[in-house]
Amino acid sequence: MNAPRALELAELQQELARAGYIADPPLAAALLLMHDLQRPLLLEGDAGVGKTEVAKVLAQTRNARLIRLQCYEGLDAHSAMYEWNYQRQLLAIKLLEHDERGLQQKEQDIFSERYLLKRPLLEAITGDAPPVLLIDEIDRADEAFEAYLLELLSDFQLSIPELGTVHATHRPWVVITSNGTRELSDALRRRCLYHYIDYPDYDKELAIVRKKAPDIAPRLAQQIVGFVQGVRGMELQKRPGIAETLDWAAALLRLDITTLDSDGAERIVQTLSALIKTRDDRAAFPRDVVARLAAAC
Amino acid sequence: MLILDTRAADRLAGFPTFLRANGFAVGGGDAVPVLQTAERVGVLDQDVLRWSLRALLCGRGEEWRRFDRLFDAWFLPANRWQKPERRDSAAHGLSGAQPGGGASGHADDDLAIHPRDAASRDEVLSSADFRALTEREHALDIEALMRRLARQLKHIRLRREARARHGRRLDLPGTIRRSVASGGTPLQLAWRDRRRVRPRIVLLIDVSRSMVLYSFFYLRLARALSAELGDVASFIFHTRVTAVSQALHDPDPWRAQERLHLIAQGWAGGTRIGESLLQFNREHAPRVVHSRAVVIVMSDGYDTGEPALLSAALAQLKRRARRIVWLNPLMNQPGFAPVSQGMQAALPHLDLLAPGGDLASLRAVLPKLVDALH
Repeated sequence: MNAPRALELAELQQELARAGYIADPPLAAALLLMHDLQRPLLLEGDAGVGKTEVAKVLAQTRNARLIRLQCYEGLDAHSAMYEWNYQRQLLAIKLLEHDERGLQQKEQDIFSERYLLKRPLLEAITGDAPPVLLIDEIDRADEAFEAYLLELLSDFQLSIPELGTVHATHRPWVVITSNGTRELSDALRRRCLYHYIDYPDYDKELAIVRKKAPDIAPRLAQQIVGFVQGVRGMELQKRPGIAETLDWAAALLRLDITTLDSDGAERIVQTLSALIKTRDDRAAFPRDVVARLAAAC
Repeated sequence: MLILDTRAADRLAGFPTFLRANGFAVGGGDAVPVLQTAERVGVLDQDVLRWSLRALLCGRGEEWRRFDRLFDAWFLPANRWQKPERRDSAAHGLSGAQPGGGASGHADDDLAIHPRDAASRDEVLSSADFRALTEREHALDIEALMRRLARQLKHIRLRREARARHGRRLDLPGTIRRSVASGGTPLQLAWRDRRRVRPRIVLLIDVSRSMVLYSFFYLRLARALSAELGDVASFIFHTRVTAVSQALHDPDPWRAQERLHLIAQGWAGGTRIGESLLQFNREHAPRVVHSRAVVIVMSDGYDTGEPALLSAALAQLKRRARRIVWLNPLMNQPGFAPVSQGMQAALPHLDLLAPGGDLASLRAVLPKLVDALH
C-alpha cells in the first residue's frame, strides 16, 4: 500500500520539476495530502524562498487557472469577494424608469448577476473547473479579513445579501502564504495544512539555478551557489532569497563574468546590488570580503 | 482502502494528544484526519507518513522544527515510552531519571502524556520565583491600567483612509452605490476618513540583575497587556534576547510560569543591551517590527557592553519601527539624570524617555506615552 504513495510522490516531484520547480519530498507530500483531505495549504518562510511559486506551478501541473488575491493592509471584503457594478446599475435604473414592470421585478433585475463584479474569492468558487486560489501574504491583511476568509475556507460558500448564498461549484485548491509579520489566528492555522519553506541547501539551490538559468556554465553555477550560501551564513538584515540568486546569476552573465575568483572581486562588487538589498548589508561587503568569499568557492 | 490494525490505529490516534501535551495547538478532534491520512499514505513508509502528518498537525514554524523529534519519540519502537521533549537541559536532568524502556503499563503511559507534573514542582521551589507573575496584589490595578492603554491605542489614527460613517471626504463610489436605491439621486452620502489602526506593541524587558526589583512588575504588565491585545510581542533580554510572548499568553497562569521557567536561563545575570538589541534586530525584528510597530524598551540602561553597539542597534531599530519608547524605572528617583553610558548612547534615538518603576508613576506617564505613539 505504501509503494503507490511513494511512487505518486516521485511522480509529482517530476511533474513539478518539469514545470520548473524543484520541490523536496515533504512539500510534495503536503501537496498530495492537500488533494486527499481537501484542505488549504499554509506556506510560511522568509521572503524569497519560493512560496508564491508553489501556487503558480501547482496551477500549471494541474492545468488549472491561477486566481491570485494579493493581501494588503486595509483589504476589505468588497475588493476580495465581490462588488456591484453601480455605474451600470444606475444606467439600468434610468432605462427602466419607463418600463411597465413592477418594482420588485425591476429590483431583481438590477441586483442580478449581470451587475455583479466578481473579485478573486467569488471567482474562485464559481468557475467551471477548480482553479488554484493563491492568497498571498495573508499576514498583511487585517485580522477582520482573516475571519471573513475562515467562512470561505470552512464551507466554501459566500453570502451576498442581495443575491443569497453562493455555493462553490468546485472546491478550489487554496494556497495561502505568509511572511510571518503578524501572528495568524489558531483557527486559520488549524484549518490548513502547514509547510515551512527554508532557504534551500547547496544541492537544491544548484538544481534550481541549473533549471532556471540553463545558459550558465556548470562551474560558474556551482560558484554562484557557493557564494550565495556563504552570504546567507553572514549576519545580514535581509538574507538573499532564491529570486536574488537568479537575478545575480543573470547580472553576472550579462557582464560576461565567467568565473568567480578573488582577482575579479572588483567586478563582482559591481553586481552585488542584485544580491544585497539594504545599505547596512552593503557596508558589510567591502572588496576584501568579496574576494575572500569568491576565493572560497 | 487500507484497514489499519487496531494497535497501529490506537497509536496513531494517540499522537495528537501527545503533541498537545507538548504544547502543540491540536485537539482531540485531530485524531480523525490523522487516521484518514494514514489510510491514504500507508504506515509502512515512515518518511512519507512523517511528512504527511507534519503538514497536517503543525501550525507554525516553531512546531515544524520540533515535530521530527516528537514523531520519533512517539512512533519509533526503541524509544516507544520515551519522555516528551524538554527544551531546558536542567529539566532534562530531572526528568531523565525516569527509566526508559519496557511497557510498564498504564501509569507510565499517563506520565508520558502529562510530563509537566512531577518534575516541575521542584523547579518552582529551586529557581527564580515566577509565582510573582500571577500574584494577586495589584493584579486588578495592573489589568485596569493596561486596559486603559489598550483602549487609548485604538484611537490612534494612521494616514490611510477607509470608508467611514462620518468623515472628512466624500466617498464617491460609495455615494453612487447608495443612490441606486433612490433611483440615482444621491440622498445618502458616503464618507471616507483616516483609518484608526492601533499600533502594534513590542516589549523588550531587561531582566538583568540590576533590574531585579522591576522586571517582574514589567512581566506582569506584559502579561496583562497581551491579554488585552492579541498581537503584543514580548521579549526578555539580559546578555541575549528570548521571546516570551507565547509563554505569557498562556491563559493558564500556572502553565505560563512553567513555560517561563524553561526559557529563563541567565535570569538576573549581567546586561549587554547593545548586543541583545542587535540580536533582536537580526532574529526577531524582521518579523515583529514594522512601520506600525512601537517598541517599548524597559531597562535601567546599565550596560556592560559597548555603548556604540547600543547606539547602532537602536539606530537600526529606529529605521524599522514607528516609535521607540524607553521606560526607565530609576527615573523616579530624586536627582536622576540619564548619565549612564548606556542611556547617553540611547538618548538620541528615542522618541520618549519616561519613568515607570511602579504603578503610580506608570499611570502618571500614560498620557505622555500615548501622545508619543501618535
